Amino acid sequence: MTQTENLVKRLPNDIGGLSAEPVQQLDHVLEPWEKRCHALADVLDFHKIINTEEKRCGVEALGAEMVGKLTYYERWIVAFANILFRKGILAPSDVAHKMAEVEARWTNDTAGASTAQPRR
Amino acid sequence: MESSHGHDHAHDHPHAELGQAGRPGYYDMLETAVRELLVERKLIGADEIRRQIEVLDSRTPALGAKIVARAWVDPAFRARLIADGRATCEADFGVTFYDDTSLIVLENTDKVHNLIVCTLCSCYPRPILGLPPDWYKAKPYRARAVIEPRAVLAEFGTVIPDDVEIRVHDSTAMVRYMVLPRRPAGTESYSEDQLAALVTRDTMIGVVPITLDGGRVAR
Repeated sequence: MTQTENLVKRLPNDIGGLSAEPVQQLDHVLEPWEKRCHALADVLDFHKIINTEEKRCGVEALGAEMVGKLTYYERWIVAFANILFRKGILAPSDVAHKMAEVEARWTNDTAGASTAQPRR
Repeated sequence: MESSHGHDHAHDHPHAELGQAGRPGYYDMLETAVRELLVERKLIGADEIRRQIEVLDSRTPALGAKIVARAWVDPAFRARLIADGRATCEADFGVTFYDDTSLIVLENTDKVHNLIVCTLCSCYPRPILGLPPDWYKAKPYRARAVIEPRAVLAEFGTVIPDDVEIRVHDSTAMVRYMVLPRRPAGTESYSEDQLAALVTRDTMIGVVPITLDGGRVAR
């Protein structure tokens, strides 16, 4: 089988049955933003904005390089943003502006007098 | 799921763990931006994320362990659990299946050992076990569990006799599995609570058997 045939037959998530390294029994306690990201996924599902299968497909659509290099919840949040763009619910410029605003809360707050949103 | 903090008062102050100089990372800011935009547009409620985090924190393997212990001591419950896992957990344990999935409970016997996996991603019986461990979501387990389960089990120190069939169950977005492990010999006098204390997360994934020390001693 050629290398390109493999790419056609196996999308990035479709790894069942492939050979791989030994299992490393790793685990970590979720970062606060990771837990919020997980809760966001559930809430998006409750509201039928993004369901589980759309989420999985959204991760797969990131392509093999991003699937390989981003962490689990990094893949999720990027996939959510892309799906929301594709559905016309948010525009990329909305997210860019909001991210600049979020960053400014921290860069304008070096004295420690926090004006940041409560963070869980 | 345990809190990652060393204290347990209500949090409304920024934390050092947010990164260097308190500045959140790119993906943290992306999550905040997406969430706040959705709340501003009233697509999700401002309080829903916090409430769902409470739900996530309330689901741990201890809940699955109680269900397993009940199945060991109550044959009628076990029969109903195997016939309809979700409805039985809802009715008898008040579990809300917040992710709209069905639950199939797989009973280990002296002839069959069950193992659960999600080859495509990370589907898992979260309403009763909490969130899956990182290794369950990583490539080696997902890729190999379905093709060489005995080798994977051996990496967990588990050797299943050759005359016992291994059945590997691949989860989907809609169908989730939980293993009902075998009750160990020597527990005839145990109470339901004592039995539940023996049941660990990994026994309900199917990668290790129940041990009388509740998995606390490395094998």
